[in-house]
Amino acid sequence: MTTHKTMPAYMRRYAARLLLFMGAYVAALTGSLIFANNGGDHAQGTLIGLALISAFPIIGVFWAIFRLLVEADDEYQRLLLIKQTLLATALTLAIVTVWQFLQVFDVIDTGPQWVGAVWFAMWGLAAPVVRWRA
Amino acid sequence: MKNRLKVLRAERDWTQGDLADALEISRQSINAIETGKYDPSLPLAFRIADLFNLPIEAIFLRD
Repeated sequence: MTTHKTMPAYMRRYAARLLLFMGAYVAALTGSLIFANNGGDHAQGTLIGLALISAFPIIGVFWAIFRLLVEADDEYQRLLLIKQTLLATALTLAIVTVWQFLQVFDVIDTGPQWVGAVWFAMWGLAAPVVRWRA
Repeated sequence: MKNRLKVLRAERDWTQGDLADALEISRQSINAIETGKYDPSLPLAFRIADLFNLPIEAIFLRD
C-alpha cells in the first residue's frame, strides 16, 4: 500500500470557509469603521446596520466551526473536535463568570466583553490540550 | 475493548498510514484504536472487518 497524506475534504472546506469569513471580517470592519468615523453623526439605524455587517462574518466563523463538526467523517477526529468545542465553551464560561464577579465587586470597571473572541482563543487553546496523548 | 489490529496489520506489512488510507480516516485514529484509547463505532468496525476479510469478533475482543 502507498500512503497519501492529504488534508481531508472536510478540513479543506473548513479552511476555505474560514478564509472567506476572515477576509470578509477584515473588509467589513475596516469599511464600517471608516464609514462610521467619517462624515459626522449617523442615524441609529445606520449604526445598527454597521454593527450587524461587522458581526456577520464572525457569526460565519461560528457556522464554519459547527459545519466542521457535522461534516467530519473521521469519527475519532470528530470526537476530538467535539471535546475541543466543549472544553473551549467551559473555559469561556469560567473566564466570563470570574470576569463578571470582578466587575460586581468593583475590582474592575468593565464586565465581560468580546466573549466571541474569548471563545475563539479558548478553541485554539483547547486544540492541543485534547490532542495531547490522544 | 481489546483488538488485534496491530497484529493483523503487521501480518500484511501495512503501516498505520496504509490502513488509515484504506479506511479513509486519519493515522491518529488508527493509533487511537490500536492502543485501545478509542473503540470504533459498529459501522467503522464493519469496514475494518471487511478490509481484513475477517468477522468482527476475530479483530475486536471482549476485555
